Amino acid sequence: MFAAIRAIEYHLPEGMLTNDELACAFPGWTPEKIAAKTGIVQRRITAPQECASDLAVVAARKLFAGGTCRPEEIDFILLCTQSPDYFLPTTACILQDRLGLPTSAGALDYNLGCSGFVYGLSLAKGLIETGQAANVLLLTAETYSKFLHPDDRSVRPLFGDAAAATLVQARPDAPDGDLPWIGPFVFGTDGKGMENLIVRAGGMRQPTNDALPHGRGSVPSAGHLFMNGPEIFTFALRAVPQAVQALLDRAERTIDDIDLFVFHQANRYMLEHLRDKLKIPPEKFVVAMSHVGNTVSSTIPIALKDAVDRQLLQVSKLVLLVGFGVGYSWAATLIRSSL
Amino acid sequence: MTRQDALRLLEKTLELAPHTLTGGETLRNLENWDSLSTMMIIAMADKELGLPLPGNRVAQCQTVDELLALLANASAKRAA
Repeated sequence: MFAAIRAIEYHLPEGMLTNDELACAFPGWTPEKIAAKTGIVQRRITAPQECASDLAVVAARKLFAGGTCRPEEIDFILLCTQSPDYFLPTTACILQDRLGLPTSAGALDYNLGCSGFVYGLSLAKGLIETGQAANVLLLTAETYSKFLHPDDRSVRPLFGDAAAATLVQARPDAPDGDLPWIGPFVFGTDGKGMENLIVRAGGMRQPTNDALPHGRGSVPSAGHLFMNGPEIFTFALRAVPQAVQALLDRAERTIDDIDLFVFHQANRYMLEHLRDKLKIPPEKFVVAMSHVGNTVSSTIPIALKDAVDRQLLQVSKLVLLVGFGVGYSWAATLIRSSL
Repeated sequence: MTRQDALRLLEKTLELAPHTLTGGETLRNLENWDSLSTMMIIAMADKELGLPLPGNRVAQCQTVDELLALLANASAKRAA
């Protein structure tokens, strides 16, 4: 059996943060300048009681409505989130019940950010190709907006909330050639970067945000997201080209062999610089964040779905995916499109 | 990279008119300076010198001269 991506859907919350609103909040900015600098026109923001599982439920229901798989056929649920509904129970368990999935299904949450979708593909492939599962529901869902301080101008223009549902399914046939539908993979981890993208309070080391010293930079509280943009940028410029080259070497391919490149949609400036550095032609490089922002682990599936909808991605095309960010953590893989 | 070359590159990167920088300027007082400017400088150095500058070091620079020193240091490292 071979694991392949068979369907992707995503869901965005109704709440919206536009560049007009940001320009009002941050004197000196204009909507045009924000769009030009970030490549983002609007972000979607969850309501106060709207959580990761609420977004994931809608994304998964859309996926089932597409008809590729019925809920009762799902035998494993993987949920990537850093903003779960609760510390415990596992949000994937809640989703099993809310989606009416079989009680015989396995379910787990895993805590990764922007590398999370590629990691999820790796886990799903492992489950399927070792015979442990046949229909894996890979969910990515984040509500990072709840971590953002309203006055933090370094992060509010970038992040948006979203969830994506991806069906990774066993199929008996392999694509032409010697590559599988998904893989090979390269991974990377460097925990020295932990301080550069962090929510300090809320875990057991700093359980609450009360009476804590003020955070760093422009973030007034340890309970909010702190991002050291310059360090993250330097990390990405080092890690991503190396990961791409390592993956191409492992797959015995070159840049020219790849039909489409889908990188984590961090911000347009970073993406364009990486594209230029790697000498990837613009027509092979997906930028799909203008109406959603940086949705963390959902950026890659959202960009893949948009690429299919815009007819940039046809069946059997070879796509290179790279996720990179918080941790630091990064991962890259190739997929042969079966969408 | 000469000092003049570096000044011209900075002007181009920060979308300033040519020959407007001399070195003594305070970065945050420059026209167009914002949170993305640091990233633009890191990207420029990566493109010109083939190595990304340490983000924190760039962010700590207060003046154009400090930035030039960082670039010169990176340029020397590359040559070595």
